[in-house]
Amino acid sequence: MKLSTTALALALLAAPAAVRAAGVNDAQIASIVVTANQVDVDAGKLAAATTANAEVKKFAELMVSDHTAVNNSAVELVTKLGVTPEDNPTSQSLKKEGGLNVDHLHTLHGAAFDKAYVDREVAYHQQVLDAVDKVLIPGATNAELKALLVKVRPAFVAHLEHAKALQSSLAK
Amino acid sequence: MSATLTRRVATGLALVACALVLALPLRGAAKDERQPVVHTVVIDASSFAPKFLRAKVGDRIVWVNKDLLVHTATAKRGAFDSKEIPAGKSWSFTATAAGQIDYKCTLHPTMKGSLLVQ
Repeated sequence: MKLSTTALALALLAAPAAVRAAGVNDAQIASIVVTANQVDVDAGKLAAATTANAEVKKFAELMVSDHTAVNNSAVELVTKLGVTPEDNPTSQSLKKEGGLNVDHLHTLHGAAFDKAYVDREVAYHQQVLDAVDKVLIPGATNAELKALLVKVRPAFVAHLEHAKALQSSLAK
Repeated sequence: MSATLTRRVATGLALVACALVLALPLRGAAKDERQPVVHTVVIDASSFAPKFLRAKVGDRIVWVNKDLLVHTATAKRGAFDSKEIPAGKSWSFTATAAGQIDYKCTLHPTMKGSLLVQ
């Protein structure tokens, strides 16, 4: 009896997350994942080609290779599952903000470029991790899609820490 | 009788020779004449498993990258460096000296591991 009360309490506590996540289906999650990775690949390509700072270049190249690898796996999985990524407000806003960021970066040079790119990478990885934790992992109904998100999450944490370390080294 | 004896001696010598050949790489290292062991560290979800591994001098440690990203296993003080291990590939290191070796992935420094060679 006591146990079932606890279970009920836990279920109620977990409910808000489920409600928030209820708004996205797997096809939309697939679109968010692919867009989020592509946005970071685009910014990384620009940064790798623009920066004169070796550490920023190394980070940008890692973002391109890691996020490309994640996207390749995501595309391979959704193809296997027969899921067609479905455009949604989250993926649309990611795409729009990503485009604005790249446009802004194009106007900058030197240290100002590095700072803007790295500041954005810190904020972006934080934002993506929040989405992974609050919306994407809780919302994914397909086990393989959920497993892919769980598998790549620690790399995003590593990217965030890497970006933060770069951010403080640039500030010196 | 004498033929059997000769055969037995020959077999014995062959076995000794085999044992010597097998033991050669370990000469002076593994005094207990134990066979070297192969240990596996799985790289997945941007982490090493197990994070802490105990091995003996002469043992081989294989890092198997089951992740979808490129990783490295790089000792902090230069004992070994796998360089980039692509997804699905592996890399190995044979422990030649005792000591604790802390290592990480240079691409994802949140990934840390430790090897205790005895």
